[in-house]
Parts: sequence; structure tokens; C-alpha cells
Amino acid sequence: MKKYHISLVILVCLFLSTSFQNLLAQTAVKQAVVKVEGEVLKPLSLSISDLSKMKRADASMKDRDGNLQHYSGVPVFEILKQAGVTVGKELKGENLTKYMLVRCSDGYEVVFSLAELDPSFTSRVIILADSKDGKPLADGIGPFRLVVPDENKPARSAHEVTNLIIRFAKD
Amino acid sequence: MEIQSHYKKLTLLLVLVTAVTLIAATGTDPVYTDPYKLEYPDYFGNRISIPENNPTTKQGVYLGRMLFYETKLSSSKTISCGSCHQQKLAFTDGKIFSSGIKDMPTKRNSMSLANLLWVRNFFWDGRAKGLEAQAKVPLSDPHEMGNYLDKAVKDLQKTKLYPDLFKEAFGTPEVTSDRIAMAIAQFERTLISANSPYDKYLKGKYKPTAQELNGMEMFMNSADAGKNIRGASCAQCHGTPKMYMELFHNNGLDSIPKDLGREEITGMPNDRGRFRVVTLRNIALTAPYMHDGRFKNLEEVLNHYNEHIQPSRTLSVSLQNRPNNVGGKNLGLTANEKSDIISFLKMLTDSTFINNPKFSDPHLSRK
Repeated sequence: MKKYHISLVILVCLFLSTSFQNLLAQTAVKQAVVKVEGEVLKPLSLSISDLSKMKRADASMKDRDGNLQHYSGVPVFEILKQAGVTVGKELKGENLTKYMLVRCSDGYEVVFSLAELDPSFTSRVIILADSKDGKPLADGIGPFRLVVPDENKPARSAHEVTNLIIRFAKD
Repeated sequence: MEIQSHYKKLTLLLVLVTAVTLIAATGTDPVYTDPYKLEYPDYFGNRISIPENNPTTKQGVYLGRMLFYETKLSSSKTISCGSCHQQKLAFTDGKIFSSGIKDMPTKRNSMSLANLLWVRNFFWDGRAKGLEAQAKVPLSDPHEMGNYLDKAVKDLQKTKLYPDLFKEAFGTPEVTSDRIAMAIAQFERTLISANSPYDKYLKGKYKPTAQELNGMEMFMNSADAGKNIRGASCAQCHGTPKMYMELFHNNGLDSIPKDLGREEITGMPNDRGRFRVVTLRNIALTAPYMHDGRFKNLEEVLNHYNEHIQPSRTLSVSLQNRPNNVGGKNLGLTANEKSDIISFLKMLTDSTFINNPKFSDPHLSRK
């Protein structure tokens, strides 16, 4: 009988703690995510913890002063594969007219053709970075940024990325 | 007797045929017969926004212009869109905050209406996608026009003038709140400013003064103190001939902003104190400046960007670490450089735009 009481108390505690967690989550600050949408089979909404579970890669790029900076994140190709975008063997024919529009929280936008992101076309690996030197990205840069190695201007290594939108080029 | 009955049948048939023909004729009455030609220079590009269900027509634009200046749209019958957006001031009102009905001040400074054809997210915080959605906001706001839109629909329906204008623009005489917003949006799309001295310079028809040229150079360049390149980095956000980019940045007005700006819309803390990067076209006419109208003149604006940027977690990266002097803590422009930049900004004043009779109050000429 005593045992029964103890297990009941434990159960009630567990129930209360999960409800409190839910309550806390509801009042917490909105979590930053990157949405993958458009011509995708499976739209994604990726948080920092989602990215940590994916196949990761490092990439480096020069900053405005020409110094090499090292970042870690997930290859954009892996994200597109997970979203069911026509990369790899399917990247042919009309699919070669698709592009990825990158949108940032301040409204900044840049595009890449899908072929620029696919290892069957290029050895350059563009990543969606979430950390630099093992630390989260700085305010105004992160929590997510693109790192595009080997470009003379850092303009496409967009800061504060919020959306990766796949579309067909029409006309 | 038989003949008479035949006559009756024939008359009936004739009446029927005439009625059907008439109905068919009114049914196929072409509504969109006069597309309005939106003319703008090639250097503006064609990334324009016109919804498929609201093509720009001469009839729609005229109705929109009538409604833009229609005080019957406000509960007090004293305020129209044109009250806070006056053509002579490039469609602003010269006030820190505009006065709505009963002189209630609005929350933010009235925005200039020029080249909206290219804008996709409206207001200081980008809350409205598209001009049709934008137009309904002040019409429904209790402080601006007294939340009178639904009643105004009924009022306009009862007028002699408007049902006909709605029929010409949209095919039937029904006045609806959607149609009001659509017509106003059509008119606003025609507000294109592209004939300033800067436009003439871009077309090779104007030779700027030495001050204007130096100001232009400073405006376009970013400083690289190590290489002795001087610049004010303005074009970083206000670049391209349209003189804005569709960005929302915290431009360092306050470390702790009173007005949260875009954060109120998105709920994201990294949007704190972020506001639209406005167009600088006609900027010399649109004082006072910033979302809260805190700067009286362009000198104060230049002083802000030069030496009063307030740090915060969301301060625009474009406004950080751009000194003109090695090791400088701020932009480090000289007094001459600042006044040269202002000379360049005055090149953006388009007198054709502010005097174009097509944009003026049509009610005045009807009286």
C-alpha cells in the first residue's frame, strides 16, 4: 500500500512538471527557425537543435577585411535533400531552372541556382551555419547564416537567415 | 383571331429578343477597356507588384484618386488620405505625428508615397503585404480615420457620383470596402517619382555641381580608412536609383527603443527597434525625419549617422565599424562632407512629381 502511495506521488509530480514545462514553453520567447518551402515535397522548419542532429560540415569564408573565418553548420544540400527538393539525380531538365531564394529577417534576399548547391555539379560546399569557433553566432549575424566559400564579396553569405524558398524561374 | 394571336406571339418574341440582347450587351460591357500605362525608367527594374485581380486601369485610378482625397471616408468627414499625405510635401504632412480625427496623434510619422509600385511590405514595420491591404489600415484605424470604412461604404453608395464611378472601374455600381481599397491602391501605384535632377543626371541630361558630385561619391562609397577611401555607406541601405532597399534595420536611434518597431509584428527579439529603410526620393521635402519624427532637418539626420549612433543588440551591422579615420569610433565625416551629402540629397527632389496635376485633389476641379 505504501509503495502504491509513493508511485502515485511520483506520477502526480511527473504530470505537474510536464505541465509546467508546457506552460514555460508557451511564455518563452519565440524560437528562431529556418523554414524550407516552395517547390519542396516536405516543408521544413528547422531549429538549432534540428540542425545539431543533421549531417554537419565546416566551411570558411573571408570577412570584409580579408581574414578567413571558420564556421560550422549543415550543408544546404543536406537540408534540400531532407525537404525533398529535386537535387542529385533529379537535378536535370526543367529542374535546372529552379533556384533557392534566401530570405533574412531584415528583408535581405539573395538567390542561388540549385546546381550551385549540388555536389554532383560543384565541390564547393555552402553551409547553413549555426556556430563559429564552437560558439553560437553573434547578434545581427545569427542564429543562422549562410557561409559561401570562395566568393570575392561576402554579400551572398547572408546573415539572420529565416527562409529557404525553392522556386522555378518563370519567363 | 388567329392573326391577332400570331401578332401577340411575335411581339412577345420581339420583346424577349430585345431583352436578351440588352442583358447580353450589359453583361459583356467591357470593364477594363483602358489600361493605365505605368511609365518609369528602365533603371528602376521591373520587380513591381500588381495583383492579378486588380489591374491598373484609367477608370480605377480616377476613382482611386477621388477616394484618396475623399473626406467622407472618415467618421468626422474631415480627414482623407490626402490630409496626412500632401502632394506638395511628397505626400507627407510636415508633422512629427499626423493628426487623425479629433486631432488625435498617430503613433508614427507619415510616410512619403512615391514609387510604391516596387514596395511589397508597407508601413514603418512592414505589416501590410501589398497596397490593397495597406489602404484598409488607416481607413479602419480609430485614431486615423475613425474606423468608418463600413459606414463610408453605405454613405458613398447613396451619393450621386460614386456608384457610376464604381461601375466604370469595376463593372457594377456596388461600393464595397474591398473595391475602395483596390481603387486607392491603383491610384497609389501611379505615384511614380522619376524626374529629379538625379534622374536627369542618370540619363546624362544634368551636370551636377562639385558639391553634389562629392556628396554623391560619399553617399555611394563605404569607408576603408586603411586604403584612404572615404565614404558614408548610405548606399549600403539606400542604394539603387530607387534610393531604398526593402530592408528593416535598427538605425541606432536608441539603445532601448520606446517603439519596438518590427518586433511588434514578428514577435522576434532580433527585430527590436527595426524600421523600414525609407526611400530618400524627395527627402528634402519630407521633414521631420525617422519613424518618430525626431529630427527636424537633414543636418540633424547626418549628425545622427555621423556621431550619435546608439549601440544595442539589434543595431544594424551596416552602421557598425565604418570609420573614415583609422581607429575612429564613429563615421568621422567632415562638416563639408556632410553638407555635400545634403547637396546630393536635394538632387532627389522631383518638382514634376509634386506638381503633377494627375496626382492632385480632383474634387477641387469638380467644384
